[in-house]
Amino acid sequence: MERLPLYGYRIFDLTTAGAGPYATRLLADMGAEVIKVEAPDSGGLPRSDVFCHVNRNKYACTLDLGQPRGRELFLWLVALSDVVIEDVRSQVLEDLGLSYDVLRSAKADIIVVSLFSHGRSGPDRDFVANGSNIEQLGGLTAISGYLGGGPQKTGVAYGDAVAGIAAAGAVALALWHRRRAGEGQHVEVAAWETMVGLIGEYVLGYSMSSRLPQPMGNRHSSMAPHGCYPCAGDDQWVTIAVEDDEQFAALCRAMGRPELAADTRFADVVSRYRNQEDLDGIVGEWTQQRTPQAVTEALQVAGVAAAPVLGVPALYDDPHLRARGFWESVSHPDAGTWDMDGVPWRLSRSPAHIRLPAPRFGEHNDYVLRGLLGLSEDEVRELAGAGVVGGGPGPDVRA
Amino acid sequence: MTSLSVLRVLDLSEGVAGAFCTKLLAGFGADVIKIERPGGGDPLRRHGPFPDDLPHPEKGALFLYLNTGKKSITLDIGQRTGALILRRLVEGTEVVVESFPPRWLTELGMGYQSLARIKPRLVMTSVTPFGQDGPHAGYRATNLTAFAAGGQMAVTGDPDREPLKNGGYQAEYQAGLHAFAATAVAAFSADATEVGQHIDVAAVECMATALEPYVSSWAHQRRDMGQRRGDIEPAPAGLTVQDLLEAPQLWARGFFQEIDHPAAGRQTYPGAPFRPEAMPWLAARASLLGEHNEEIYCGELELSREELVILRASRVI
Repeated sequence: MERLPLYGYRIFDLTTAGAGPYATRLLADMGAEVIKVEAPDSGGLPRSDVFCHVNRNKYACTLDLGQPRGRELFLWLVALSDVVIEDVRSQVLEDLGLSYDVLRSAKADIIVVSLFSHGRSGPDRDFVANGSNIEQLGGLTAISGYLGGGPQKTGVAYGDAVAGIAAAGAVALALWHRRRAGEGQHVEVAAWETMVGLIGEYVLGYSMSSRLPQPMGNRHSSMAPHGCYPCAGDDQWVTIAVEDDEQFAALCRAMGRPELAADTRFADVVSRYRNQEDLDGIVGEWTQQRTPQAVTEALQVAGVAAAPVLGVPALYDDPHLRARGFWESVSHPDAGTWDMDGVPWRLSRSPAHIRLPAPRFGEHNDYVLRGLLGLSEDEVRELAGAGVVGGGPGPDVRA
Repeated sequence: MTSLSVLRVLDLSEGVAGAFCTKLLAGFGADVIKIERPGGGDPLRRHGPFPDDLPHPEKGALFLYLNTGKKSITLDIGQRTGALILRRLVEGTEVVVESFPPRWLTELGMGYQSLARIKPRLVMTSVTPFGQDGPHAGYRATNLTAFAAGGQMAVTGDPDREPLKNGGYQAEYQAGLHAFAATAVAAFSADATEVGQHIDVAAVECMATALEPYVSSWAHQRRDMGQRRGDIEPAPAGLTVQDLLEAPQLWARGFFQEIDHPAAGRQTYPGAPFRPEAMPWLAARASLLGEHNEEIYCGELELSREELVILRASRVI
């Protein structure tokens, strides 16, 4: 077994919520030493269960970047680091006199990643959007919704996840560049732009035809049936997608209705597409007598794409994810022990796991101040007295 | 300025996820060769929207968008001759991206283990709906069913209606974006340490990691907060693609790019997903089917044109 790919690389993480911590979570999972910086007098972020999930594998220290001594210590730490990542909430670069140029004077080849919603140039550079609002900005909301209905948002903070993944990839490219060219760089991630990239074919389609795409519900541009069907039980659903005649015939046999494959309303792909409302009704009558799992099994055996709509509890117990070891048990000294979603990038030669629970407030101050910076006990005490480091007992862990 | 130009990527994938992964690598300069099946090429070529709704293999917006900056060669790797050619190409390759049903490449003798014997520091990224192992690895899946199985559909839509898929191919795009970032990390590491990897990216796992705070509140407290809320916020609908294409902010930042294509003409494409100041985003068009056959087979593998004819007649290319 090999070392994790980012073993030995140090990242100072000034982000607080949303895309930033998701980015540094992915990088920490890959072995990077991610150190969160929190203000000593802030009391820190609540150590909620979300915090525990998003900040596993990371370290935490406190440092008041607003005080000259804190700023100086931070620049010393930058000199010992590979990457600094900030988001709009941390405002380091602009407000604290810690611009990229200043950071670069501390470490010539530092990589700085700035994660913003609108980017740091252009007329809207001071606007802020986060989470689900990124989707609206990015054009996804306008093409999402029930057929004939209004726009709908995805039920997760999708724009944050998307920008976070992009930022993690950006760090890898910048490390590549540094290795090849011997220099660091400033990377800007504008979540709005990242989001637009995930509906690129609609942008290009509009460029071609000047025709506005409309929400299509669960329908597809060519497949039918293609939808979400009710099943036995409370709020139980299954999705089914049929690509061609062969799969449709298989679906009909699985439903015990082989004659439907020859029915003129459904015999060919065009007829099925035209008459998919009728078809959806027929498929729904069959599915609602069965569980999503029973429908899925029957159709997968027949070679038809189908899957249950998994809510979070079902996802947590999903036999497939369990068999793959996706859920990993993690013990946090204050919060307790439970199973967390694991590392989504499965590496064959250096499999990554959850190595550390989320850090307590200032938990790694000793490591950072005495270990990395080599300060004496007296110096640390003096800094704590001035409120540059340290801080109270920290936030409660929300049970 | 640098780019990933020394990074040769063979893209064997079909579908949105793998194509998005390699599109991003190509955008930052990687030398991506897309391997398409002889005949019709990548099935994505069949998908619209098309100009004037007239289907044409070189004009589909989904294909054109997802394949910017890549070379295209045709090769039937299911034939023995095709497999042997692929193995020669792997010798000069750093990254392979694929999306076949699990074990299919292994059965053809081209799984990670055998390709890594040719090129020990090879990074091979497999991006699929359910991953390489587990009881559902063999499931037939589409973007819709993966979106459902990854947990994001259950929380999208109205509470009193069926769960809703969001627009486009978001299950696949998410997986593709994860695959890109994971590949970039592993390729950097392989460059530095000479250690390659096989990366297994499952769309359902990628989606499950974006389900906070629902996952954590269930995992920790058995509280299911993941309910469909519908459009409870009286929020504006958000920008349409027309609004996007008229947004002063995006134009001021030079986000959109005009790209000319011999069949589809000059059109507007979204640009860089992020901006490393020292690694410019390249805006190059998608390639025509098999456009680089001569360059790669004759120029690199030193086959003669007569031999190309033999391969073509045998439906290998």
